[in-house]
Amino acid sequence: MRNNLSRWIYWVVGLVILAIYPQVVGIYYTNVFVGFAIFALYAVTLNLLLGYMGVLSFGHAMFFGVGAYSTALALTHIQGFPLLPALLVGGLAGAMLALILSPLLVRVSGTAFAMLTLAFGQLIFVLALKYREVTGGEDGVGGYPTPSFNIPGVVSIDMTDQINFYYFAVAVIIVCLWVLWFYTKTPFGSLVVGVRDNAMRIDYLGFKLSHTKAVNLIVSGCFAGIAGAIYALFQNLVSTLGVLDIGTSFAPILMAYIGGLGSFFGPIVGSGILHLLEDVTFRITEQIELVNGLVFILVVLYAPMGIVGLLRQAKAKWFHKEKVS
Amino acid sequence: MNILETEGLYHDFTGLLVLFDVNLEVKEGERHAIIGPNGAGKTTLFNVITGTYSPSRGRVTFKGKEVTGWKPHKLTRVGMGRSFQITSTFSRLTTFQNIRMGILSKRRIRFNLFRKVDKMQNITEETDDVLKRINLDGERNLPASMLSYGKHRSLEISMALATDPDLVMLDEPTAGMSRDETHNAVELIRRLTEGKTMVIIEHDMDVVFSLADRITVLHLGRIVASGPPGEIRENQTVKDAYLGEVEV
Repeated sequence: MRNNLSRWIYWVVGLVILAIYPQVVGIYYTNVFVGFAIFALYAVTLNLLLGYMGVLSFGHAMFFGVGAYSTALALTHIQGFPLLPALLVGGLAGAMLALILSPLLVRVSGTAFAMLTLAFGQLIFVLALKYREVTGGEDGVGGYPTPSFNIPGVVSIDMTDQINFYYFAVAVIIVCLWVLWFYTKTPFGSLVVGVRDNAMRIDYLGFKLSHTKAVNLIVSGCFAGIAGAIYALFQNLVSTLGVLDIGTSFAPILMAYIGGLGSFFGPIVGSGILHLLEDVTFRITEQIELVNGLVFILVVLYAPMGIVGLLRQAKAKWFHKEKVS
Repeated sequence: MNILETEGLYHDFTGLLVLFDVNLEVKEGERHAIIGPNGAGKTTLFNVITGTYSPSRGRVTFKGKEVTGWKPHKLTRVGMGRSFQITSTFSRLTTFQNIRMGILSKRRIRFNLFRKVDKMQNITEETDDVLKRINLDGERNLPASMLSYGKHRSLEISMALATDPDLVMLDEPTAGMSRDETHNAVELIRRLTEGKTMVIIEHDMDVVFSLADRITVLHLGRIVASGPPGEIRENQTVKDAYLGEVEV
């Protein structure tokens, strides 16, 4: 009962903070927050593969990018395309790509999985670069209309207003994160963790390994696609270097590691840290990668379970509880 | 009636013939031990029967149905369970979660995405029941990797049984155990496999002769003898091939 109450209090406090945040910090940091939230969702989808299923996707940008491009292209070519379907298109595109690749990807794990995802990620990057008529090549797709949030006869909210868009994006991302969090708690979610620890035993316990891996891939791809779709709406420009390049694939890996692979919330914390760091670094130098790299090295050396792992250890020590690994 | 049969089973690893015309018959309700020196092909026989490999030649029949080359998950679903010589648990999951995986399989809960597994009261209760029966309720929330060797082995064996199989195949369940641990493990196996058919690979002759009511001796990939324990004990070929060399 008390637990339930404190959970409600957390939710209410969190939502109130999110609601008044734009008023307090102004437009610049409101946009920084949207960027953080998009990458938080994106990094969580990577962690569904890395932390939960135990495979490292080196080409995760393909899901994010395909989602972003699909949304951008739908908005460019279909007049009056509504807002929520625009997000769905991105999610569907990510899921479709994962579905198409899954017959190959479920057969491998370890290094082979990393290399195969890297290869497909690069393939899609090059395709987008060369298939100019559709993707606009290096220039990308931009200047498409941002639809309003429309419930006919009830409400119509202008999404070109950055504050409005903040509320919309944060709401969508919270819902997505909640769905994914719930997903990891289902019986199926526990199977996915079993695959990470001992794939062979999963098979011997009567679960079809390839299907289990494929479903998790598709869920990960779908929500990465939604993150990409929100990004497309947010930036109003989708280009290969922004959503499909290797940097976009590395970013969520960095976030997941720095925040902590062992926890659902780790990648969210990681995204927060990297966005803060970027903001601070930018005032001094443009060499953001250098600073990110240093932080990454420090985390790998001294906090292999990430920041969340460190906090958990500290908490365990503090309360003299058994050390959690 | 035979619950498991192999007919003319051959297996070779690219030229190395490991199984040679193996005809194994396991009757329903039987406790069948497979013994033989190291490298006799015992584990390979298990792997071929339980679906790790397809045999190069021959047939495997389970419950009257041909299951040659079936994948492990399919065999598990029709009632075959297996434990491993090298402990193969979910090392980072708790003892409870390890057993629960088997219970979920037994209840055919696979792609359920609409309920939290922690909130499934019946699954939790059943898992806790199993933990009590295998005396691991004290280690309920410990990661499997932190269990003592003997307890980790118990968990290994119990996972094979958690899916409630009709035929359970145990690959050296007491490997590496101390005398006390072995004694406890034998009691555990006896208790858990009551009313089930069991095939067990075992090196410890005390365990074999106390558990099995039929013994098959494998030597260099062939069955050299098969029969009740008394008969095997007196069999000269077996003595030459195996028993004579082993100090128990």
